Amino acid sequence: MAYPYVSDVEVRVISKYFGDPAHRRIDTYVERGGYKALEKALTLEPDGVTDEIKASGLRGRGGAGFPTGIKWSFMPKEPTRPHYLLCNADESEPGTFKDRELMRWDPHQLIEGCLIGAYAIRAQHVYIYCRGEFFEVNQILARAVEDAYMKGYAGEDILGTGTTIDITIHQGAGAYICGEETGLMSSLEGDRGEPRVKPPFPAAVGVFGMPSTINNVETLAAVPHIVLNGGEWYRQWGTEKSPGTKLFCVSGHVRKPGNYELPLGFPLIDLIENVCGGIRDGNQLKAVIPGGSSVPLINAEDARKCELDYEGCVEVGTMLGCASVIVMDHKADIVKQIRRMVDFYAHESCGQCTPCREGSAWTARILRRIEEGQGTEEDLDTLMGMTEQMVGTTICVLSDSVAAPVQSSINKFRGDYLELIRRGEQAGVA
Amino acid sequence: MSDVPLKNPGWAGNTGEFDLTEEEVRGEDFIGERPLHGGHSSVSATMPYMLIEKNPEAELFEGEYQERLKKILTRYPKKRAALLPVLSMVQELRGHVSPESMDRVAELLDLSPAYVRGVATFYTMYNKRPVGRHLVQVCTNISCNLCGADEVLAAFLECTSTELGETSEDGDFTVIEAECLAACGFPTCVQINSRYFENVTPADIPKIVEHLRAQVKKGD
Amino acid sequence: MAELVTLTIDGQEVSVPRGTTILEAAKKIGKQVPHYCYHPGMSSPAMCRLCLVEVEGAPKSMPSCVTTVMEDQIVHTESKQAVGNREGVLEFYLVNHPLDCPICDMSGECDLQDYVHAEGRAHGRSEEPKRVFGRDDFGGDVLFYGDRCVMCTRCVRFMNEVEQDQRLTVVERGNRSVIDTFFEEGLEGTHWHGNIVDICPVGALVSKEFLYKARAWDLEHTPSICPSCSQGCNIELHTRDNLIQRMKPRENLEVNGWWMCDYGRHNHEWMNRGIQLEDPLVRTLDGATGPVKWRDALDQLLQHVGVIGEGRVKAVATPFASNEDLGALAELVGALGGGDMVYRSVRSEEEIVLKGFPTLARRKDLAPNTSGAELIGFTRVGDDEATGGLEDIATHDGIVIIMGDELSDQAEDFGREAGLFVYLGDRQSPAASNAHFVFPLTTFAEQEGSFTNIARRVQRFSPALEPPGMARPGWLILGALAAELNNGDAPRTAAEAFSGLASQIEAFAGLTYQDIGIRGAVLNETFVLSEC
Repeated sequence: MAYPYVSDVEVRVISKYFGDPAHRRIDTYVERGGYKALEKALTLEPDGVTDEIKASGLRGRGGAGFPTGIKWSFMPKEPTRPHYLLCNADESEPGTFKDRELMRWDPHQLIEGCLIGAYAIRAQHVYIYCRGEFFEVNQILARAVEDAYMKGYAGEDILGTGTTIDITIHQGAGAYICGEETGLMSSLEGDRGEPRVKPPFPAAVGVFGMPSTINNVETLAAVPHIVLNGGEWYRQWGTEKSPGTKLFCVSGHVRKPGNYELPLGFPLIDLIENVCGGIRDGNQLKAVIPGGSSVPLINAEDARKCELDYEGCVEVGTMLGCASVIVMDHKADIVKQIRRMVDFYAHESCGQCTPCREGSAWTARILRRIEEGQGTEEDLDTLMGMTEQMVGTTICVLSDSVAAPVQSSINKFRGDYLELIRRGEQAGVA
Repeated sequence: MSDVPLKNPGWAGNTGEFDLTEEEVRGEDFIGERPLHGGHSSVSATMPYMLIEKNPEAELFEGEYQERLKKILTRYPKKRAALLPVLSMVQELRGHVSPESMDRVAELLDLSPAYVRGVATFYTMYNKRPVGRHLVQVCTNISCNLCGADEVLAAFLECTSTELGETSEDGDFTVIEAECLAACGFPTCVQINSRYFENVTPADIPKIVEHLRAQVKKGD
Repeated sequence: MAELVTLTIDGQEVSVPRGTTILEAAKKIGKQVPHYCYHPGMSSPAMCRLCLVEVEGAPKSMPSCVTTVMEDQIVHTESKQAVGNREGVLEFYLVNHPLDCPICDMSGECDLQDYVHAEGRAHGRSEEPKRVFGRDDFGGDVLFYGDRCVMCTRCVRFMNEVEQDQRLTVVERGNRSVIDTFFEEGLEGTHWHGNIVDICPVGALVSKEFLYKARAWDLEHTPSICPSCSQGCNIELHTRDNLIQRMKPRENLEVNGWWMCDYGRHNHEWMNRGIQLEDPLVRTLDGATGPVKWRDALDQLLQHVGVIGEGRVKAVATPFASNEDLGALAELVGALGGGDMVYRSVRSEEEIVLKGFPTLARRKDLAPNTSGAELIGFTRVGDDEATGGLEDIATHDGIVIIMGDELSDQAEDFGREAGLFVYLGDRQSPAASNAHFVFPLTTFAEQEGSFTNIARRVQRFSPALEPPGMARPGWLILGALAAELNNGDAPRTAAEAFSGLASQIEAFAGLTYQDIGIRGAVLNETFVLSEC
């Protein structure tokens, strides 16, 4: 049973128990083989665990796709200072709703992943930075963490091995930018969630100035399965460069939106047409954003060619991101939706870097003007020119995320913009 | 303390493909049960409730709240890191974070009041002024927007007779737009106080509003 | 000595110690990379994005303020990529900037004006209505014009890292973010906040005192030394119409860094003294005083000395006087047969240390040249209010010379018994009514000279104002008198007066104006400031 919809082609590794309320309970989780991976990991050397993750080819599921095992191996091998594992559970990329499901249906899977990850990087403390709006998820997770402590899976002397790993849930307070790893660190330290310049990288100078690793919820959720079954086992799915399974969050104009766990490399059009039951109301596919609002959108033609892995998305001029597939049918108002996304980025920009602070708000204003029929064709040139100045010029990539939808939509759907502009001009003349 | 369960016709996952109750999906038996003292220190920094009846004059960090505060402080190597959870505790009791509360928190954590103000204003969840008993946050970001979030927002405003961002005359409702709430597969998602309502359509709103009003009457 | 790294910036090779930033390395070869948020005295958040430069091999432009140099690195600060980035960033700055340069105090010395003028787009593309924050009183001497702000956060970091009294913060976020205080708290009660006006690269933070007082391009800048305590902060006097309009710190890492305290900064009204004492005055036999020419005044004084003969001299000097003035007075006292030399000065109860730059403090001793006075042989008398201690001088029947001390605590019969009473100063004093000779002196702002600070550092200052009337530097008058008595040569310049001092006072031996330069020079000998 999956949740909320089911598909036969799914490969449910981390989402196996979505839709099963009993699985939230630690007894059920343990009965079903839970915490066995932790037991196994604690019999290995930390580097042995990291090697297994390296062998699996698991890549970070938060959007950047950096190989997890390699990231872990950046941590100092002989700790002289405290290490920290940070679990990024600040899910807030528009279109993304997988981490919330992972945490509310299978909290112990995440906790187990966190404990194994902490062991591998020689950290004695895990902070799960959970999005502030997730009151209910926080409460489910809180109970699970308490139970894990009570049963001896977390805290001092885990399972009698002498290993100590603490877990603390830290609840955010409403800021998208805290999902950026250095912004998260700033926020966890009790500061404004402003991203920091890299280098230094978190593995050298992370939270509280100590070596830190930050992993997404979905990444850590996959870890127990890989440790238990081996890296090679994980590679039976996916592609050479993008192994394993991935949760695809499908939203928008499909008949059956939801989370589907599929092997990487799955054809996008197959996901939309078959897994999700096609476009709703018998409408036509117009555009897809395959990786969450920060990646370029593609038209139906490119969508038909797109394979959903890190490389396949790049081939059609977009990115896999966190695999949040936002589907738009032929009735969708592209300009309005782009404007709404840019409003979001303008609202969420931390305000440090000038191109982002000024550029995102300026972009939003121009788009709103166009949407209201007050735009001109020169506005499109201005948008293209000024968003170009927002790419690669800032501390983090939020600014780039403004440029991506704006530029891709003007390139692929210029007609939609022109129609609004023409309509406005005609209304003005009349 | 917690929100009273509501048979929301639009609760998430009502797809007809499986037979879970709303309580089972939400994890009813996990929710609304958190002790005020925060439980185990590992999870004391979570904010369990948003209270319907706020008391802007409530005493801060007393009794069980003081216990929770002490636990929170044990979880971080630096005192400042407790700032977000501590501000959340203030809001839990008082409903918003006033200048006076900021000053109090600054003193408590050895920070400057200006610093606390800077942090508090960075995060959207801290209300800088009082809000209604029910803070209705309608996601109008892309996935919900594609599926009619603007209509849901309009319906909420109409049903509660409020302007966007303003509090209704009876003090029951403040309706605002929210950014993506990470429930994109269940549009439109609406967060009301600490609870998510999913798959909300304009037709559901009179029932939801009626239910929320009833909660107020009960003095819950 | 740190290991050197050699890199190429704009085709020019440069070697700098490892760990140096590209921005600092570029500075070394005369390349100023435009920047706002970077300030050498504070941490660098690398957020203004103006200092991005092209580094060959790097995937994107690098912030030169935090990127450290690497061996064989090739950097371009003038390439299409670098210049294009600056053009883009500057356009973003102007999207909401009010362009109110005509009424902006910063106009003419504004980095936004300068950078946009140099590298901005000829035409801005924004047609949107501008965001408006308006004006806010930050308390103290500071006004905040939010719309002009470029959000470099230098002011926030100054209060946080340097003054270490975190009164400022960024409130809100994104495009709505703005610098603010904690509601009504403001900057009141802080001691260094004037510096945030200095480091603001635009006209967002302005001084209330200076508001609408002068245009930057009408001001003349004169290097000087702050006279308000014994720290000896290096400053500039900004003048117009022969009036001091404001004082600004001048960088000197060994003394005050980039900073100065608010007490010193605002203590300058007295320098614009107008005409109070502009002619030498000589008391005639009938007791009335009247103006005479300098030559006549000096001749009459020498005659008077001839009549009463040499005798025990009692001299009182102000530690606001320069080394040169004090040295000339000491020489004159010697020429008259010697005597007691004392000074009085105000001492405050506490030192106000700048926590983030702890070698800088508003010192307890509120005079600039106490060390100089001590070294030259003056002894401290009186209390911490600079009163009392002159009892035996008030009734002395020999020669009394007062230089600069206004005797404000003294009775009107002060010096009535004196055989010869000479008063030199920059303003009239009731207690000087018995003086036989009243000589107008220039203030430090009207003359060239030097002070010796608390760390025995001798630092030079230059004249910024025209002296009123016949006022002259103390060393010129006293030096001429001493030369007459000693049959020596009178000093003609401050440098010569200093040489005279160096030849007389061991502590200054061997030092010349050239050695002191614009940075100052520390005296070698160990020396302890008397604590009396």
